[in-house]
Amino acid sequence: MAAAKKLMSVSRDWRERDVRVVLVALIIAVATVATIALFANQLQRTLVSSASSFLAADRQLEAENGRPVPVEWLEEARNRGLETGQMIEFSTMVFGESGFQLVSVKAVSDEYPLRGEIEIQPSQDAPREIVGGGPGQGEIWVNPRLLRLLALNIGDTLEVGSRKLEITRLLIREPDGGFRLSSLAPRVMMHVDDVSSTGVLQEGSRVEFVYLFAGADPVLEDYYQWLEPQLEPSHEWEGVRDGETFSRSLERAERFLLLGGSLAVLLAAVAVAVASRQYALSQRDTVALLKTLGLTGKGIGRLYLRRLALWGIVGIVGGLAVALPLFWLLVRLLSDVLERPVDFYLDPAALTPALMTALVSLFAFAYPPIRRLRSVPAMRVLRSQPGETGREAIPDMVLAVVAIFGLVWLYAGELALVVSLLGGLVLLLTVLALVGWLMVSVLRRVRGGGNAWRLALVGLYRHRQASMAQMAVFAMTLMLAATLVLVRSSLLDDWQAQLPDDAPNHFLINIAPESVDEVETFWSERGAPLDTVYPMVRGRLTELNDRPVKEAVSKDERVNALNRELNLTWMAELPDDNRLVEGEWFAPGVTEGVSVEAELAGRLGLKLGDRLTFTIGSEKITEPVTSIRTVQWDSMKPNFYMAFPPNGGLTDMPGTWITSFHLAEGNKLLLNEFSRQYPTVSVLEIDHIITRIQEIVRQVTQAIEAILALILAAALVVMAAVVSATLRDRQREGALLRTLGGQQSLLVRSTMLEFALLGFVAGVLGVLAAEAAVYALQVRMFEGTFRWHWQVILPIPVLSAGLLALFGRWQLRPVLSVSPMLLLRRLE
Amino acid sequence: MNQMTDLRKADASPMLRVAGLTHKVRLETDTLTILQGVNLEINRGESVAIVGRSGSGKTTLLGLLAGLDTPSEGTVELDGSEISGLSEDERAKLRARRVGFVFQSFQLLPALSALENVMLPLELAGIEAPEKRARDLLERVGLGERLTHTPRQLSGGEQQRVAIARAFASDPAILFADEPTGNLDNRTGQSVSDLLMDLNREQGTTLVMVTHDERLAARCGRQLHIEAGVLTEPDTAREMAD
Ligand SMILES: Nc1ncnc2c1ncn2[C@@H]1O[C@H](COP(=O)(O)OP(=O)(O)OP(=O)(O)O)[C@@H](O)[C@H]1O
Ligand SMILES: [Mg+2]
Repeated sequence: MAAAKKLMSVSRDWRERDVRVVLVALIIAVATVATIALFANQLQRTLVSSASSFLAADRQLEAENGRPVPVEWLEEARNRGLETGQMIEFSTMVFGESGFQLVSVKAVSDEYPLRGEIEIQPSQDAPREIVGGGPGQGEIWVNPRLLRLLALNIGDTLEVGSRKLEITRLLIREPDGGFRLSSLAPRVMMHVDDVSSTGVLQEGSRVEFVYLFAGADPVLEDYYQWLEPQLEPSHEWEGVRDGETFSRSLERAERFLLLGGSLAVLLAAVAVAVASRQYALSQRDTVALLKTLGLTGKGIGRLYLRRLALWGIVGIVGGLAVALPLFWLLVRLLSDVLERPVDFYLDPAALTPALMTALVSLFAFAYPPIRRLRSVPAMRVLRSQPGETGREAIPDMVLAVVAIFGLVWLYAGELALVVSLLGGLVLLLTVLALVGWLMVSVLRRVRGGGNAWRLALVGLYRHRQASMAQMAVFAMTLMLAATLVLVRSSLLDDWQAQLPDDAPNHFLINIAPESVDEVETFWSERGAPLDTVYPMVRGRLTELNDRPVKEAVSKDERVNALNRELNLTWMAELPDDNRLVEGEWFAPGVTEGVSVEAELAGRLGLKLGDRLTFTIGSEKITEPVTSIRTVQWDSMKPNFYMAFPPNGGLTDMPGTWITSFHLAEGNKLLLNEFSRQYPTVSVLEIDHIITRIQEIVRQVTQAIEAILALILAAALVVMAAVVSATLRDRQREGALLRTLGGQQSLLVRSTMLEFALLGFVAGVLGVLAAEAAVYALQVRMFEGTFRWHWQVILPIPVLSAGLLALFGRWQLRPVLSVSPMLLLRRLE
Repeated sequence: MNQMTDLRKADASPMLRVAGLTHKVRLETDTLTILQGVNLEINRGESVAIVGRSGSGKTTLLGLLAGLDTPSEGTVELDGSEISGLSEDERAKLRARRVGFVFQSFQLLPALSALENVMLPLELAGIEAPEKRARDLLERVGLGERLTHTPRQLSGGEQQRVAIARAFASDPAILFADEPTGNLDNRTGQSVSDLLMDLNREQGTTLVMVTHDERLAARCGRQLHIEAGVLTEPDTAREMAD
């Protein structure tokens, strides 16, 4: 069947504009979805692994009661195939030749760290190095500040209790260099097996046993299910996503990627549907002829099914051929941003959504109009028959909507997302139908004439079906693109606001009340002024409405905050980033009451007026709750669960002061001067944590930009597909107009006007629909606040009008450059 | 074996028998009757011209005779098969084996070369060595040098020759032509109709042709007139045939 085969070959198809559009749309769809899925997967793993490195593992189990956990717990974990590791953290005095110093010790096992790396320096002047494990037995790695404080050198000995250890490395950064108030003193790191020989761990000394676990998520989850019933209140199971500073950002990034993916699916589907309908219409003559020549409906169905299958193969192969290099490039970009090599995670399972997209696009969007080719009347070869009215396309649309719904749902797994998107779309289409009806009834009155405006309006009316379809597609495309841009910018703004460049990156803790002023002067003279300095009193919440708090709060709601000392403070004014949710802030002069952080209040079930009793040392103070406020935990400033008014009961309690401030990288040496002058003040350096978080934000931002670019490219293809759908008709009309003596300039002006009008209306509708969708997404999913985006609302309709006018001009090109005779012949 | 007897039996019967054919189309407001009570019999090997004014229903009639459409009332028996009793697919199979077409607007597939256009019905009918036969036919219509050219590279007359070659390719028992010279100038039309008549005679095909061209109509064995959907036959021919 050489001729018939040739008729159905892809290489021949490629010459057909509509098929080209279908194939390009398919390729883009597969490529976009595959790239997003692969990259999201990669990003997730990279992020989680860099997030995991905050814990030096995937999960940590902390025993704050100073006792190791039963060995069976670890055995069980190893039996389940998890990696385990151990550390012991405590504070102690270390002795050098010229003196002693309180240090915070981290003793680690050989496996440490399970995730992340340690940064060290072999000697003071040597470059920093990244290593994958901690010190061996007999060795100790120390914070550079300790060397200076004790006037020691690499190679010297340091005594920890009764054990002498050799200083072999400078410890610059540990992966889990967490932000813990307990780690105030300079850090040293030693081997866990050396701990017992130091003899410093006595019953009752403050020590924390920490166990590290790493492995696949489900295994970790199962293990936790097993472990949980055995945990005591002093045991704390920590995962990456709980309470981590950036977990919210990570989650939003994930959602954004999903959103982007879903929109790509939508756009591709639209392009495929439009182009294949166009293609089916153009195939009607061929089908009629084939029928006349004796091909049965079934044979025709088979021919086109085979062709569809070929398209599918081309789409998938082509899409992957685009996606894989793109993915490779993105990962390269990622490792550039991270300044470290990133492992490729090419998960074949991540390709499933891409394949699904190809299949659904083909069968739900491309196939229905093509299927109807079977019923094209053979009589068409003799006389033109009434064409498709568009009514036949209604079941197609229903199928398409169901398919889109299913696909987006399947892909994003977020019902809220699907509903807001489709809600936006339905709203859009409803408004569009209204506008279309209005347009048709207004335009009907316009009669043709020599005037470009009137010609343009007549053109809109004459192509009203195509115009409406185009408007729907443009508006939808614009809506999707605008939604993405809007969500992206508010997402990024949010992040930027969360961590500005001058975010505090150092804490000063333990400032004696009498040195507060001096310390403030010290830093402001050196150009690094302190943020607000807060008093800090350590105390326990012991009673609630005069009942012991452990009774008053049910067991489920046992809160970590109850197990340890809380940092209590007093403040005259509500910090900028706190927000009152209930009650009143302390009026000037008020000395009674306490303001509680909202989340804790929720967990304890506190109401305004509840009486809280705190035990501070041997004293007790009782205050009623007068307000409840939210706190920005990730602000990198001191935050407090409990705040009292100035001059209240707390003021007389023994306490120290705490603050945070921003110290530029180049000024780090000032810390030595400061430590010499105020040896009792602890400096907590969290600048590397901040850098890490900023890095992650940057990485996610890059990913989002890349995906956005992909999706916008897809949007442009959709637009081009739809514009070119009516190309032939318009060219024929243009040729006819010219044959009948229409001037070129008139033709150009009226066509451009017609498209500009279309673009403008579509732009307005698209932007409004986008705002609606953004509103829904923002408020419901990203928990943000909504505002109108004037910077987009105004320019987009104008831009889309301009863009479409240019598209119109561009497709007129052949009409203008060729003689009408040639054109009519070519379009025959 | 079975088919042989079938064919022999068919040989005795007329090629085309039409009785009480009426065709109506439903319009928005009312129904339009395009053909009214047409009765007709065409024997094997006959050549028949249908003439009439524009809009009189010629094309509609041709479409019904060829089984491209089904009538509102009446019967069409083509080569022994009652058309309205056949499914659409059965009619398609019948066409593939027994029917050829020539159209006013040529209806070549622009994507295929001249040779491939002629091969297409041969392949659809499952005839052996389609390329050889297609070449011979194109040779016969004088286009042996233009085998690889696509319709766009051919003039109207040349395209119609390709269409004629295609129509005869599957060796049809009956050929339908709707104004085969309608889109051609006089001279070209003349040579195309010569070709059509010659091939028709050579192959012994039954020919049913709609035409405005009186000279072409005159070359057919029988002329039928249609006016406002009613078919009349100038008496002489009818009587002589009887
Ligand atoms: N599907 C249809 N719907 C409406 N009207 C139809 C339909 N089919 C045919 N007609 C009408 O029936 C009449 C006969 O049409 P037909 O094409 O058979 O004429 P014709 O004799 O072939 O004319 P011409 O010589 O111009 O080709 C015309 O008036 C035509 O408009
Ligand atoms: Mg006609």
